[in-house]
Amino acid sequence: MNFQNFAYEPSEHEAEKASNSYLMSLIAIIAGLPLPIINLLATLIFYIGNRKSTYFVRWHCTQALLSQISLLFVNSTGFWWTVSILFTDETVSGNYIAYIITAFVINVVEFIVTISAAIKTRKGIHVEWWLLGDLTNIICRR
Amino acid sequence: MQKILFQVFVIVSLCFALWFALSKVDWVSLFKLDQVADTTEKAMGTIFWDLYSKSALEITSEAAIRPLDSIVTKICISNGIDKRQITLHLIKSDEINAFALPNRHLVINTGLIATSDHEAELCGVIGHEIAHMELNHVMKKLIKEVGLSALISMTTGGGAEQIKEIARMLSSSAYDRNLEKEADIKAVEYLKNANINPAFFADFLYRLGESEPTNSQYFSWISTHPDSKERAAYIIASIGQQNTNFSPVLSTDAWDQLKGFATN
Repeated sequence: MNFQNFAYEPSEHEAEKASNSYLMSLIAIIAGLPLPIINLLATLIFYIGNRKSTYFVRWHCTQALLSQISLLFVNSTGFWWTVSILFTDETVSGNYIAYIITAFVINVVEFIVTISAAIKTRKGIHVEWWLLGDLTNIICRR
Repeated sequence: MQKILFQVFVIVSLCFALWFALSKVDWVSLFKLDQVADTTEKAMGTIFWDLYSKSALEITSEAAIRPLDSIVTKICISNGIDKRQITLHLIKSDEINAFALPNRHLVINTGLIATSDHEAELCGVIGHEIAHMELNHVMKKLIKEVGLSALISMTTGGGAEQIKEIARMLSSSAYDRNLEKEADIKAVEYLKNANINPAFFADFLYRLGESEPTNSQYFSWISTHPDSKERAAYIIASIGQQNTNFSPVLSTDAWDQLKGFATN
């Protein structure tokens, strides 16, 4: 995670909206744990609602959205694997438990990083995550 | 762009490395999942057999059980299966049926024996039911139909009505198509290893499939196992290289005696 100077000093209103984009994905994590698509949808709706907003807000909405897209793959795999255990002949195996623990660790890391990003952006500090920050810089144009 | 690709590679590699490292831990033993499943199956077996035996007339005569036991033992020994874990029950009933209950209770109706023209036909059905046990189909079916949590609650005394319903389902309905096919193919393998001609098993299915409409109330095993002719066809196909070194499990006298018990 990098704390960098943004292209301009964001206003109080912008900082609040940017912070909300991360909080949106956190609320969605709690509400949508069994259904991973909910996280993505909530963040996507927030992103679409703010796509004509200022650069700072759009940038952080995009970073939050990208983090949810990457989590979607991890959580969907775990979700459908669990469904197949409950409703098909698939059984609980060491690989399955290892995957669920891995997915849990990834989710916890993402959760902590997201909370941190929400607090920092609320203070108007620009936070760029490793990999996702670079990707956001490519996607989100001023 | 190269930097991003490198970062994606690092992240994905880290995730897979974590998964790989965690998968090396024997979580199934650590969480005692096998033990839980084993205890649940044993409790289920006792519950379902107690319930079923109340409404069934079990034949305990040594003379009737011994030939059946010889067949089960022959199939088990030839295939490295622990026979001591299987509890055999012979039930006086005209219904042509055999089924497996949890914890390896093998239930055979006299109607099935009476309808079998050859001991190898009976061996085929017994092999099929043993395959269901060995491939863990009984518990798979229960977990799929009822759910693991409901099963565990039953072992602690809950859901009397549900237990009755499941006992009826276990004795009168088939497994899904894939599990039935898997058990059929496995049964062929068991029969071949025991030097029993699997073609009789296919003939039995075909014959009962042909005559089913006229006697459907007695044809549980066939009517709940769909497409008997199709099953006969893939059983024949799976026999492959035919071993001609077949030998009977029972003497002619023992088979006749067993048939006698079944028809009287």
